[in-house]
Amino acid sequence: MDVVVLVKQVPDTESLIQIAEDSVSIKTGDLKWIINPYDEFAVEEALQIRETQGGTVTILSMGPEKATEAIRTALAMGADSGVLINDPMTAGGDALTTAKVLAAALKEIPYDLIIAGQRAVDGDNYQVGSAVAEYLGIPQISLVIKEEIFNGKIRCHRVFEGGTVVVETPFPALFTTQRGLNEPRYASLPGIMKAKKKPLDIKTLADIGIDPAIVGKAGSKTKIKTLNFPSERQAVRMIDGESGAEKAANLVKILHGEIKAI
Amino acid sequence: MDQTREQLPFDILFVGAGPANLASAIHLMELAREKKMKIEVGMIEKGNTIGSHAISGAILDPIALKELIPDYLERGCPIEQTECRDNLYFLTRKGGFSIPFTPKYLHNEACLVISLSKFTRWLGGLAEEMGVNIFPGFAGTEVLYNADASCVIGVRTGDKGIDKHGKKKSNYEPGIDLIAKVSVFGEGSKGSLIRDLGKKMDIFSNKMPQVFETAIKEVIEIPESSPFLSAETTVLHTFGYPLRLNKKGGGFLYRLKDNRVCCGLVVALDYQDPFLEPYEAFLRFKRHPLIAEIIQGGKVLQQGAKTLSAGGYYTMPALVANGTVFVGDSASMLNTQRLKGIHTAMKSGMIAAEAIIFALEKNDFSTKTLKKYELGVEKSWIKDERYKARNFTQALSQKGFLKFMHIGAQYFTGGRGLKDPLTIRKDNSTLKTLTPKKANKTKTAVPQHFDGTLYVDKLTGVYLSGTKHEEDQPCHLIVHDTRICETKCFESYRNPCALFCPGKVYEIKEGPQGKRQLVINPANCLHCKTCEVKDPFENITWTCPEGGGGPNYSMV
Repeated sequence: MDVVVLVKQVPDTESLIQIAEDSVSIKTGDLKWIINPYDEFAVEEALQIRETQGGTVTILSMGPEKATEAIRTALAMGADSGVLINDPMTAGGDALTTAKVLAAALKEIPYDLIIAGQRAVDGDNYQVGSAVAEYLGIPQISLVIKEEIFNGKIRCHRVFEGGTVVVETPFPALFTTQRGLNEPRYASLPGIMKAKKKPLDIKTLADIGIDPAIVGKAGSKTKIKTLNFPSERQAVRMIDGESGAEKAANLVKILHGEIKAI
Repeated sequence: MDQTREQLPFDILFVGAGPANLASAIHLMELAREKKMKIEVGMIEKGNTIGSHAISGAILDPIALKELIPDYLERGCPIEQTECRDNLYFLTRKGGFSIPFTPKYLHNEACLVISLSKFTRWLGGLAEEMGVNIFPGFAGTEVLYNADASCVIGVRTGDKGIDKHGKKKSNYEPGIDLIAKVSVFGEGSKGSLIRDLGKKMDIFSNKMPQVFETAIKEVIEIPESSPFLSAETTVLHTFGYPLRLNKKGGGFLYRLKDNRVCCGLVVALDYQDPFLEPYEAFLRFKRHPLIAEIIQGGKVLQQGAKTLSAGGYYTMPALVANGTVFVGDSASMLNTQRLKGIHTAMKSGMIAAEAIIFALEKNDFSTKTLKKYELGVEKSWIKDERYKARNFTQALSQKGFLKFMHIGAQYFTGGRGLKDPLTIRKDNSTLKTLTPKKANKTKTAVPQHFDGTLYVDKLTGVYLSGTKHEEDQPCHLIVHDTRICETKCFESYRNPCALFCPGKVYEIKEGPQGKRQLVINPANCLHCKTCEVKDPFENITWTCPEGGGGPNYSMV
């Protein structure tokens, strides 16, 4: 089974986020970059599938050269090879143009299964995985917390409010990850050593045969107009009380009397 | 040795990716290249990335940097401020005055203001380019010795994926044994490996006890219209308020790039008053008119805290043992008199690199061969400047007028002063027992107003340090006997850990029947190590949490 994992390098959520002067992007000077946490679940699941089914795990990403760090992290976890699409013309694109580029790159990478994070924690668009499947014309299942492979099919458990739903599809297919799917492994120290020698191809748009005019800023139909910080949260209030029962009683009093929630 | 562990051999292993080890590794790679030697070099770092745990003032005397990387400017060395125009102030509660005569060791004209976090990240990039294998996110948790424990042979990294109760999780990843001909310890202040190594290899005997200071620092963005951005003075050092004259320490404020400043307060941990709270003193420093005026309208971008080893020349341990050398703060290389240690840390690493190459050539890694490092330090400018300051820390610990007599005498006698060597007390022995009357007096702290922007409480500070730990892991702060906390320590000192810890890691909660209980919040830990230094009962041992945990400094 050949699995391709879509990975994005994103700012660490612990980083100091500041809106840039243009008010449509963030300052990158003091940021630390990490592999998107939902993509980490995807890498882990791909490695587990390879352990039972055999085959290969390829990491595919788009971004500046720095994004090779995220690919190396996935290689250190155990993936076999990586491909980065690095082209200045992809900059400033929306989710759909990203999907176009990744889908074009996937035409040259053999796959039975594609796994993507449900979303990247920076843009929070929830679009790339689905759009890639659409461009490739393959079935997709989103927000998966468990998968089983048998008889040439993949059966996925998805969470929705109040329960789970089980969905099945033949290969090739794409699914996106939800928290709870697995606990990503750590990159081991020998793994990091080995990752340095694993193949990592860096390609341009010309290499994958895609017209620069339909991607990046030029090809985007949606544009960010402005970024705003969320309004500040109110301070947390601790409920007093000597015992659990007393605290519960005090909580009820506040919910009923002050906030009138119950 | 546990035979189930995977082993990874290196020629040289560096423990910690701070300025001492990075300078050492860069110099080592350079020397190896000159001599056409092929060597495998590894470096582990407990921080998530290189620079994540690096914090300092910091004014850098570029003397070692120039020796190591003469074209450092062309190679993109991150510098915050090239013009250091000093002013030294004595602060009173509401005012203060500039000291007209600044002692020569406090002149910083040729120095640079840097962020140690940015600086180490830059050095790390250069080291990696030269072929050093750096592994951020891996903590060393055990020193490995040969069979008769006469020689260090490497370091074991910590297991990952262990839950709170010590059980393996599904992503359990065992630590591995990194084996090396020479292990270089540059762990920084109060290292957790050198503690045990020091006892086993006897590197601290016949030395004065190592003493420490805790510094709390912030990077603050100030309004672009602030007059300080065009003021003549770029570097301020203060003494006096908020500490009393008998308390060792002082404040600093430096202008950085763009419209940022950094400010901080250093408090020596030989203080006597159990009610002293360094964090609270830091806030009072910020509210002093001299500082408050500069930072008004500002916003704290990052906060951090760290101890520094302030003992100086006489507290330097043996610098080598079989199979190992100690550099930087691990070897107490700081010069307290100049308030600087990055240059000496780097230089110590570079001299160590020369000794290591010599040992590689001889294929002999015994104390006898590595001693070349110790001799090299004695012959270098490290000795020259530190020897002059050999009694300085001790003099600052003196009380009243005596302090100034000692300092004055030292100034004119090349550091010898009135008594040489002047002795010093271990930090955890200096707290004064509270009299029952004093103990029962509730602390009359001035109520602090926090605006969450420029003046932040401890927990907001922890947030601003980017500190993050895997929550489901064993507690890395070992409190050996919590009964001491609940009885003896409460009675004698009212649990100073709750005050001296800048991260609110320790709390004493009173239970229903007035029963006291120690609550530890290890996830808040800033890795400053104040607790291990200052706890009066030596009841706390700091160990490395899962690699990658801790602060995420990027600009301090």
